[in-house]
Amino acid sequence: MGKLPNKILFILGVFLAAAFSLAPFLWFVSAAFKDQTQITAIPPEWLPSFSVEAFSSTVTQHGIFHYLWNSVIVAGGATLVTIILGALAGYALARLSRGWAQITLMGILACAMFPQIAIVGPVWRFLKFMGWLNTYQGLILPYVALTLPLAIWILAVFFREMPEELESAALVDGCTRLGSLVRVIIPLSAPGLFTAAILTFIYAWNEFFLALLIMTDPARQTMPVGIALFQGEHTIPWGEIAAASLITTAPLIFMVLLFQRRIVTGLSAGAIKG
Amino acid sequence: MKTIKIMTIFLGIVVLSCTNVKSTWAEKPTNIVFLTWKPNQPEVWDTVIENFHQKNPDIHIKVQVGPHSSTQYHAIVAQRLKNMDKSVDVFFMDVIWPPEFANAGWALDLSSKFSVEEQNKFLSGPITANTYQGKIYGVPCYLGAGLFYYREDLLKKYHFKPPTLWKEMLKQGEVILKGENEQGLHIYSGQFKQYEGLVCNMMEFIWSNGGAVIEQKTGKVLLNDPTVVKSLEFVRDKIIARAAPRGVINYEEPESLDLFIQGKTIFHRNWPYAWAVANDQKKSKIAGKVGVGIIPAFQGHNSASTLGGWQFGINNYSMHAQKAWRFVQFMTSHETQKILALDAGLAPTRRSVYQDPEVQEKRPHLNAFLPAFKNTRPRPLSPVYPMISQELQRFFSHAITESGSDISEMAAASSARIEKFFALGAMIPK
Amino acid sequence: MIRKDQHLYLALLLPAIIVLLLFIAAPIINSFFLSFHRIIIGLPQLKTPFVALDNYLQLLKDPIARHSFFITIIFVALTTFFELLIGLFLALLIHHRFPGRGALRACVLIPWAIPTVVSAQMWRYLFNDAYGVINYMIFGANTNSYIPWLALPTTALSSIIVADIWKTSSFAALLILAGLQVIPEELYQAAKVDGAIVWQRFRHITWPLIRPALLIALLFRTIDAFRVFDLAFVMTQGGPADATNVLQLYGYKKMFVEGWMGYGSAVSVCIFIIVLVIAVAYVKMVGRRLLEANV
Repeated sequence: MGKLPNKILFILGVFLAAAFSLAPFLWFVSAAFKDQTQITAIPPEWLPSFSVEAFSSTVTQHGIFHYLWNSVIVAGGATLVTIILGALAGYALARLSRGWAQITLMGILACAMFPQIAIVGPVWRFLKFMGWLNTYQGLILPYVALTLPLAIWILAVFFREMPEELESAALVDGCTRLGSLVRVIIPLSAPGLFTAAILTFIYAWNEFFLALLIMTDPARQTMPVGIALFQGEHTIPWGEIAAASLITTAPLIFMVLLFQRRIVTGLSAGAIKG
Repeated sequence: MKTIKIMTIFLGIVVLSCTNVKSTWAEKPTNIVFLTWKPNQPEVWDTVIENFHQKNPDIHIKVQVGPHSSTQYHAIVAQRLKNMDKSVDVFFMDVIWPPEFANAGWALDLSSKFSVEEQNKFLSGPITANTYQGKIYGVPCYLGAGLFYYREDLLKKYHFKPPTLWKEMLKQGEVILKGENEQGLHIYSGQFKQYEGLVCNMMEFIWSNGGAVIEQKTGKVLLNDPTVVKSLEFVRDKIIARAAPRGVINYEEPESLDLFIQGKTIFHRNWPYAWAVANDQKKSKIAGKVGVGIIPAFQGHNSASTLGGWQFGINNYSMHAQKAWRFVQFMTSHETQKILALDAGLAPTRRSVYQDPEVQEKRPHLNAFLPAFKNTRPRPLSPVYPMISQELQRFFSHAITESGSDISEMAAASSARIEKFFALGAMIPK
Repeated sequence: MIRKDQHLYLALLLPAIIVLLLFIAAPIINSFFLSFHRIIIGLPQLKTPFVALDNYLQLLKDPIARHSFFITIIFVALTTFFELLIGLFLALLIHHRFPGRGALRACVLIPWAIPTVVSAQMWRYLFNDAYGVINYMIFGANTNSYIPWLALPTTALSSIIVADIWKTSSFAALLILAGLQVIPEELYQAAKVDGAIVWQRFRHITWPLIRPALLIALLFRTIDAFRVFDLAFVMTQGGPADATNVLQLYGYKKMFVEGWMGYGSAVSVCIFIIVLVIAVAYVKMVGRRLLEANV
């Protein structure tokens, strides 16, 4: 790594990066373990008293696990559907003649550029027409549509990189085209699928505006909506908001910790090789 | 561990949904969907709705919730009603919505159900607000009005009477600040963020200076009137960053109330619900030291409070209007309003509840609110109120945020825009 | 050689295309359609007359929209600039092999995984004018000089910019890192042998080779930043004095709060066109690499 000053600079950089990324969030969620007076204390109390009051009230009073469960279904469902549709479309685009593939892909990507606020109204009317308001599929399908463009793009680039010979070999062995896609191409593109899946999951887990409008039935509301509804007209329940935020974010942090290497390699192995 | 948790949750949900299914199968009651925002005391509302179920086994109320912010909740209600969504029967309605909902044909005309005789049993302010072109579209649930809270202990200590003039409030405040010499103590807090609450606060300053934003009869916009400009200048130069911390420019009710119950302001403007919070031993540092009265005025003018509060409306497209009406009747009955007053601290709209001995005993302050309730004035009654409000918010926020700005110049531009909205309303064929 | 079976490809594309048509393309067309009409939700008596380009002409003359556009441009310029800068810094760090690299990589990704609703609340707490830790770090316990960040027009906009930079720098870092990883290690070795110092190596090897990745990151960030909505919606609702009333929030208010469906749609269509123009310009610059892995 070079000379000593370089090394010190580097360590300083690492420290800075970690602080930049973590400190604000850590400070915020520490409020979840504090009581109300500690939360608003100046000078700040760095060490929380580890009161569990905020947690217990988010769980008992606001039924946070219930929102969490809805989020799991919606985000999980959206990810599954997006990956299946995205893989099929991505494969087709990767094998389609270049000109057509380019045009189709451009069209799909243009879809991703429209402001979401404007599509909310028509989507809502369509869902009402189908009777899908306040249902899981009513939220899953819009999420699929919103995440598909990026997923298709990532997967198309990924599949294109797969040598066609592999596929030909499978075909010679008696596989159908779909069979070769499922048995040969998909296993080999696991990193790309993985990246697309994580991007979709995080999006669906975090989306808030559509969910607020579509899900008014408390039995179906997802986590971000739950947090948005926390804000009462009384004092701001910082402790409870922080507790709920921690509970919402924890699964994602867990995923990131677990899969950080894959997220990085998945992206670089395929999509973004400029 | 994780799997166990997930399984328990899953099991819980299965069990819950099974019990639900059972009850619906047994009696097959009609579902009435009630769209509201998430209340602060959900348990009180749950009890009330449970009471309704007991007396009306043929109806089952399904509550749906939106966000607490009036503007955001309006977007959700409007989204459903404008698309003629039959899946909502009863909705909670802010006091500023009836003209819009009536004109758009969203709210059911209740005139045949809600007789004038019955209307007279309610306070007149909210009844007027629910009336549009001679017909009534909502039944008031609870009342809101701008109230003036103060620290009784501090005023006593310095031998002050509650101020009736804005100037007096500032003077008393200066003396108390000097005497207390406490870091972080301010004179006043209110709601000055660019949102609906800003309109409510600023209206009170304007009215209490003898001004008005709009002449209701002619629809003339008076923003450039000297009385209006003067009251805005007063807020900009004397309140913001002087009597109140500059931060109030981003404060809604919770933040400003927080300051008050932390003992960091002497005077505070808020709605009736704040009384219960300020006197809650667990949340408030000033419990038992709070006084309440009418909002101060400028010299030679009368105090005025912005009318707030929430009503029940029935969806014009509801398939169960009759049953929905039974629910609304129950929710606005003497008994229900009494429970909401006693347990949720909400101000009743029925006159009789104020006379109720139990209410008088347990919530003696409600009668202290009555003078302010008599002073209430509505925000502009118009089917295009949302547009007017957005423009007013923009204008007020500019006026009080930018020190030294030319208020009358902005007033001219804003007035022109609001008059355009009115012109739209006038185009409605009668 | 694989048979180019067009029918099969079409069949594979179909499900995705149907979903996109129903949930995105149709709404987009609908928005275009609405933007040529005058539709006021609260006044159904006025019907919904076709007004051609009237909404767009009004939009051009609308001082509030112009102000929102101006703010949005500032937001886009500052956030993309700092996000790429910080993203580059983070990417270079993570790219190094060192003990704890995995942990740092995970740390850096965390802000990106946090829901915007949560991070907006978080920044509201940190920027609080009475007990915010940011004020404490600057002014200590002297609460009198605390700055009400969200209450002053300039600092309110800056606060939202900071919140966005914090949240999305890691995404930029991810994209840049992808570019870094394809640079062959041998190039650096050779440069080291030639005695190039760190800066020279960065200037002559890293920089030219990651420029495409940077451009892609820039494209993604610009497109996203132009459509910023959540942060302002949760943190300030556009105030004070319209200082954070970004274009998309203005469109939202027109459509969902005031009920001007036609006019609000026109705002959205304009944002779409701006973004599309930027995207096309970028693609022209980056070249035909959209589908090419090995360029």
